[in-house]
Amino acid sequence: MNYMIYKPVDFHNHVSGKKGKLDKKEAESRLEAAEILGIDKVCISRPLTWDSPSPEEFRAANEITLSAMSLFKRFIGFCYINPGYSRESLDEMEKCIVKRGMSGVKLYHQYFICDPALYPVMEYAADLGVPVLMHAGKLTDPLSQPRLSNASHFIRAVKMFPRTMIVQAHIGGGGDWEWNLRVLEDMDPSAKFFIDTGGSVVDNGIVRRTVRAVGEDRVLFATDGGMEEGIGKVLDAGLSENQLKKIFSGNFYNIMSERRVK
Amino acid sequence: MIFDINTSTGHWPFRKVSNENIGDLEKMLVEKGIGGAAVVNTHGLFYKNCQDSNLELAEMVSKNPFFTGVATLNPLYPAWEKDLDLCIKDLGMKGLRLVPQYHGYGLSSHCAREILSASSSAGLPVFIPSRVVDVRQRHWMDTGQTIDVREIGNFSLGVAGSRIIVTECAIYASQVLGTDNKPLYPGLFFETSRISSALGRELAILVKGLGADHLIFGSGAPFKEITPALLRVKHSGCTDEEIRKISWDNGRTVLGI
Repeated sequence: MNYMIYKPVDFHNHVSGKKGKLDKKEAESRLEAAEILGIDKVCISRPLTWDSPSPEEFRAANEITLSAMSLFKRFIGFCYINPGYSRESLDEMEKCIVKRGMSGVKLYHQYFICDPALYPVMEYAADLGVPVLMHAGKLTDPLSQPRLSNASHFIRAVKMFPRTMIVQAHIGGGGDWEWNLRVLEDMDPSAKFFIDTGGSVVDNGIVRRTVRAVGEDRVLFATDGGMEEGIGKVLDAGLSENQLKKIFSGNFYNIMSERRVK
Repeated sequence: MIFDINTSTGHWPFRKVSNENIGDLEKMLVEKGIGGAAVVNTHGLFYKNCQDSNLELAEMVSKNPFFTGVATLNPLYPAWEKDLDLCIKDLGMKGLRLVPQYHGYGLSSHCAREILSASSSAGLPVFIPSRVVDVRQRHWMDTGQTIDVREIGNFSLGVAGSRIIVTECAIYASQVLGTDNKPLYPGLFFETSRISSALGRELAILVKGLGADHLIFGSGAPFKEITPALLRVKHSGCTDEEIRKISWDNGRTVLGI
């Protein structure tokens, strides 16, 4: 299977660094791995995982992403914000997306995806026509990430923010993926909902069943850093050429075509 | 040709796993270009008397020479010494799996040392999975315990001449190589299905530090998809000779087949 003809776009990956400074060597290593596996473009962000990152902290995190984008054209940046700082988050989205070419918003587990605190940033993302990628999972140890969004939160979120393209992160990110898929069977067919395939979990059937649960137009290829896992589990899903084309890159470019700002 | 050191047959009770029947498993492996495999019986995790799972496995393998049987025993259960002897002499098992996280003992316990010692004296390699499935998605009745590679390494150091194949473990060079880049645990062999390859070149670094003889291809089928494991070796950056050893020679050599 020569999947490289579909020019895969990794919808969910990261760069690292400290105090606003990119770890260039690590970023190069990530791109080299993408090159080896025939991944054409890589969406990146630098989310902060603690309870409530300050505006100064998320601005510095985004500088890391912006540095990577300016050095390597194959990186597509996503703007990380903490929606608890509403005004500062909107300013950061304007800076990163409108002025400096980022392509989406990345949220971490500071809030559930259906928290009313998200209204301003979700509405602004809809105005800009960019997707919001939310860290997600159904952990069997929920105390480790008490505000981690699972599929039931996304079901509510698409009703609260019907204009916004919402992406549930890494179905293979660890957690009960079957639970998530059973809940997503009830997703509103008209909702602007997507899910990415990233994460290290390569359980037999995980991608095939994701496609069956939500439909091939909503599934986005991703690695979240697990490069061989990312490619391999999509190839093993028994999908048609047309489905592979959509998942590896077609659905991504459809989302990007919604962008309303230059 | 590829030999897979990490496959399972038998029923997994906590989610539906396709191809857990040994015939379907063989078909799944052959479709991916795999020419032989070591196989354990999943029932051995759950039966109190796990020798029954070995008898089941021996019967299946006797009808299917594609597979090499690996026994599962619990050193807390009576008559394991007799069972081990039977597994080697009569059932043709070429390895022994220990699963302390399912059978309720620690690797530092006397019983663990005893069974490792007995199996080493008989020339049998021991398999220890760091985990069987990802515990972040475990069933509420399944174990939440994983075993760290350093714990397995220290276990191996306690019995001279022991050989342990660590499966289902995301290993990094910093865990198994000393500051002088020499192996910390010479008796350990590592199955490759969870070792990062293209990103960070971890697999190639391990090959350089441990020697290619200590890395063995494994897929984790049928629990896991196979292509991710194949891509890891294919894109490891290792030489053709090293890839041949990892993919075919090492698994067969360590099992003595």
